[in-house]
Amino acid sequence: MGLYLLRRLGLAVPTLLGVTVVVFALIRLIPGDPARLILGLQASEDEVARLRVELGLDRPLYVQYARFFARLVRGDLGYSAVTREPVIGEIGSRLPATVQLAVSSIVLATLVGMAAGILSAARQYSALDYLVMTVALFGVSLPVFWLGLMLMLLFSVYLNWLPAGGYGTPAHLVLPTVALAAFSVAIIARMTRSSLLEVFNQDYIRTARAKGLHGRVVILRHALKNALIPVITVIGLQFGALLGGAILTETVFAWPGMGRLLVSAITARDYAVVQGVVLVFAGLFTLVNLAVDVLYAYVDPRIHYG
Amino acid sequence: MVKTLNRTALALVLVAGLVGLQQVQAPAQAVPRQLRVAIGIDADRLDPAEQTTTTIANVVDYMFETLVDLHPVKNELVPRLATRWQVSRDGLTYTFTLRRGVRFHDGTPFNAEAVKFTFERLQDPRVAVALRFLVQPIKSVEAVGEDTVRITLSKVTPTFLSDLSTTQFAIVSPAAVQRAGDRWRAAPVGGGTGPYVFKEWRRGDSILLERNPAYWGKKPLFDEILFRVVPEAGTRLTQVLAGDVHQAMLPPAPDVKRLRRDPRVTVVEAPSDRVIFVAMNTQWGPFKDVRVRQAMNYAINKKAILASVLFDLGTVVDSPCPSMMFGYSKVQEGGWPFNSTKAKQLLAEAGYKDGFEVNFFSPTGRYIQDFQFAQAIAAQLRNVNIRANVSTMDWPSYVAMIQTPLERTRIQMLVLGWAWPVLDCDGVLYGQFHSSNHPPRGLGPAFYSNPKVDQLLERERQEPNVERRKAIMKEAQEIIWHDAPWIWLWSQKWYVVTAKNLEGVLIHPIEKWTALCEPEAPAVGHHCVTWK
Repeated sequence: MGLYLLRRLGLAVPTLLGVTVVVFALIRLIPGDPARLILGLQASEDEVARLRVELGLDRPLYVQYARFFARLVRGDLGYSAVTREPVIGEIGSRLPATVQLAVSSIVLATLVGMAAGILSAARQYSALDYLVMTVALFGVSLPVFWLGLMLMLLFSVYLNWLPAGGYGTPAHLVLPTVALAAFSVAIIARMTRSSLLEVFNQDYIRTARAKGLHGRVVILRHALKNALIPVITVIGLQFGALLGGAILTETVFAWPGMGRLLVSAITARDYAVVQGVVLVFAGLFTLVNLAVDVLYAYVDPRIHYG
Repeated sequence: MVKTLNRTALALVLVAGLVGLQQVQAPAQAVPRQLRVAIGIDADRLDPAEQTTTTIANVVDYMFETLVDLHPVKNELVPRLATRWQVSRDGLTYTFTLRRGVRFHDGTPFNAEAVKFTFERLQDPRVAVALRFLVQPIKSVEAVGEDTVRITLSKVTPTFLSDLSTTQFAIVSPAAVQRAGDRWRAAPVGGGTGPYVFKEWRRGDSILLERNPAYWGKKPLFDEILFRVVPEAGTRLTQVLAGDVHQAMLPPAPDVKRLRRDPRVTVVEAPSDRVIFVAMNTQWGPFKDVRVRQAMNYAINKKAILASVLFDLGTVVDSPCPSMMFGYSKVQEGGWPFNSTKAKQLLAEAGYKDGFEVNFFSPTGRYIQDFQFAQAIAAQLRNVNIRANVSTMDWPSYVAMIQTPLERTRIQMLVLGWAWPVLDCDGVLYGQFHSSNHPPRGLGPAFYSNPKVDQLLERERQEPNVERRKAIMKEAQEIIWHDAPWIWLWSQKWYVVTAKNLEGVLIHPIEKWTALCEPEAPAVGHHCVTWK
């Protein structure tokens, strides 16, 4: 197992290297002059030219990449052209907010989604099933920026229970978590339901029921464990997406996470920050995938990693 | 089940109604300990010298002060850290008398040495001064005594005093700058003289300032000021309505009409010096002909678009230079008239009876309702047989497109907004209509070129006499207006929404709001933000 983990981590390195090349090329292929964007329309051309030189943008692309790579090997992600602070620091100041929101959302989504999926599967074609699946349909379809504003309107403006966006206290975490989790809840609920229904048709479930086991025991002990693999896959993918893609939620709720850092870096063509953030996202995603693989072996003892 | 749901829903609606009612009354409240202001963007840096955006400069204005300041009501220069100034007859030497007894937040005295240090720092190439061309005319700075500074310029610069009111010229404490070192840019601790002191900047989230107990001017009202970074306009508005913040910049434009009547909030709006226009590439096809460009102006009903698409958040311009700027001279009362018959006639004279096809670019979300009004303009151009194909792109690509030289430019016509940090017509006239500012050198996408205008604008820049300078700029404005390199549209408003209790917030024409108190000005007196 330990060896397997090491090998997987080793394999992640070329993946991440590939990511750096793609990101480096992509951000430079789209038009936009970082120096002009940073200094503004009113700045003089002399000043803009000076900044271009300072940022090394006057050098050929391969030189720029070589510099970037040489730094990266030493664990240095370079400096933000906008704030002139180390990119590591920029990411470090945003990462906790992103992780906090992603973890709370995935926990909420897993709890609610699996509970709803189990209820729904246990009472297939009942009114409850239809209700859960309809709500889930809304969860998948509602755009998060609309849902977010509506939640704030209700809970902040009318009821005055929770703050309307911002960061700091646990109360600030509630609404963005709910808004962000809505989509994942729906996906997890639907996956849990269909996966359970598939297992329900298996012989061993019929045997368990025939033995006279209580319905709850059959579902939770016998069926659920065997239905978990696809659910875990979905949760893993959702978690990866939440870590990297909560851009809209972060924007609507003024949440100081990495998604917003990435967007503002792209609009400023702040190359170093874009590269750094995407690299961190890719790294996190790799880690989550690895964790999912390990979980498989735990859930299903037939799966071995040697 | 359904019944319970219904009852819950009803209760919810009732509660919501009651809460709503309570909020409507807005009783007199104690002054909050912390004033919270929602801004749309995070700071890039807090060093006054390196400011690049107006909103962050606005935040910096709470901590740092300039020698002279621009009064938002009078639109004239008033004393701030300098109490008096004299300009030599040749317009090359400026002597400032400094305010006495002022101390920086770190306790060191504000004096002539600090001013000298600040100005020399602005000339240091390691400091990234975005508007360095405003610094370039300075030849030398001398501390004549403890409270007298003499600045010598290398060339006559009529806008020099106005330039000094921009945030980048704010005076900083030499001791604080040296102590902070590399940290200064992100944490300018102890460095200013203003009513508030830097406390903390939480990236992407907020900037916290604390009252300066030793402030030389009127005592600050709030213990703390928290600027919250809230990128989404709808959220900023929600936060004001929820009472989370007391002031928010630029709520969603479509909501402004309703908010003007909302008893819970005040909308503070004022025309800004940002002129919004459609630049026509005067060196492309049909636009080479002045009659076509004039026809384009006749074809557009600006007032109708302002009312129906812009929620009245603009004022039709009647000159190339907006009215609040020094040197402004009205060219055509009410703006360029809307007259489609005249437009068709001019097009026919120029040989475009059946119109022509033209590409038309507009940004999205950069200016108020930009992409929407571009479509309205295209629709009106259809009436005179001009087929304008509107397309949009993200802002960085847009700027890159504008910076393309004439040989390679894709620009035929495009929407742009132009503002200037100093209220002087030179900013817009020279910046947009002098031929040295054709892209990629400058950002004048009309590629307008008129030797007479070039000559007038060069003269204006060297004319120390105020009245003669005004006359030169008047002549330039008239020529440019009738040459019509742009479709003259409007100057856009700038606006904030505040809690009802927060009174006296003013909007500066340079897209800023008042940083608490304005310096004293003749006939206006002291103006401050108050809490009722």
